[in-house]
Amino acid sequence: MKLHLKIKRFNPEHDKKPWWGEYDLDVEPGDRILDALHEVKWTLDGTLALRRSCAHGVCGSDAMRINGRNRLACKCLIKDEIKNGQIVIEPILGMRVLKDMIVDMDPFFAHYRSIMPFLVNDTPLPANGRERLQSPEDRQRFDDSTKCILCACCTTSCPSFWARGEYIGPAAIVQAHRFIFDSRDQAAQERLEILSDVDGVWRCRTAFNCTESCPRDIKVTKTIGEVKEALRTGVIA
Amino acid sequence: MEGLMTIVKEGWRYKGSGNVMWMAHRISGLGIMFFLILHVFGMSMSFFNPALHEIMLETYKTPLFAVGELGLAACLVFHSINGTRIALLELRPEWWLQQKKATQYSLVATVVIGVPMILIMAMASINHFVK
Repeated sequence: MKLHLKIKRFNPEHDKKPWWGEYDLDVEPGDRILDALHEVKWTLDGTLALRRSCAHGVCGSDAMRINGRNRLACKCLIKDEIKNGQIVIEPILGMRVLKDMIVDMDPFFAHYRSIMPFLVNDTPLPANGRERLQSPEDRQRFDDSTKCILCACCTTSCPSFWARGEYIGPAAIVQAHRFIFDSRDQAAQERLEILSDVDGVWRCRTAFNCTESCPRDIKVTKTIGEVKEALRTGVIA
Repeated sequence: MEGLMTIVKEGWRYKGSGNVMWMAHRISGLGIMFFLILHVFGMSMSFFNPALHEIMLETYKTPLFAVGELGLAACLVFHSINGTRIALLELRPEWWLQQKKATQYSLVATVVIGVPMILIMAMASINHFVK
């Protein structure tokens, strides 16, 4: 089938403002958007810049706006996205564009690091020296938030984040949730304090764009709601 | 300012259900805030500057302000109903599955309450100015 691919291009070294690159391709309906982008880069225009690594929806590198909403290019099939023979590709919103689809992820990862994304437990290990055990129910409590691959689809679909880049963002809150509700962790209060900051969890306005855009189907807004509830009630359950 | 530019240039084009409601909520909130500032300023002038207060009262009776009043009514109805939806979903995160329905209900409620209200107000204004 024929595909007209419209890609927002920008190279700060020579472009004053973004422009649309238009490419006509022969593709299979079952091809992924990433395959079409590779076709452009490898056969039509080698200057196209994009991030991708695993190409199977695990590394989270190829988040971009596909037909106006955040998606992973490696998880979207052309037949599902094509409209009137065309697909429009743009970089994710709210981050500085370095080149074409590549955005500056440093502020995103700074927010991620700020919530201490690691297990904190200073008690001695069990007598057998092996891992700290946890019941299946306790593990289930934060199962959803362990699925996050830090692709930034949620954070860059959030209007509160577009309005204020200092907002910690849904992804960092999901990561905090993963440890706050982990029965083995001991730094929940510390994380909650970080999240109750002026640019913390209260900047979330429950817009639900994050839940819609998550390629891992994490219930992001619900997760944020649970963190708010823990802050409001002081109960972590 | 950068954030505002992102929203004005691109945010409105994002195809999510949330950002449109988010923007509408913000805009209606700004409308209400503008009215409140004007109202508090006008009322305070009755003490500090009665002549200016009189001028403001006369200005409020012009057709431009009659139209503004309709806008204010629309902002109030939408902002209060949508705000209730947001507050409920914040208080009960487990209701997240109902969010799309809740959005539709709040839009329907805005129309059902807002349209007759605005029509009644508009008819009263038309009668006032035509007379």
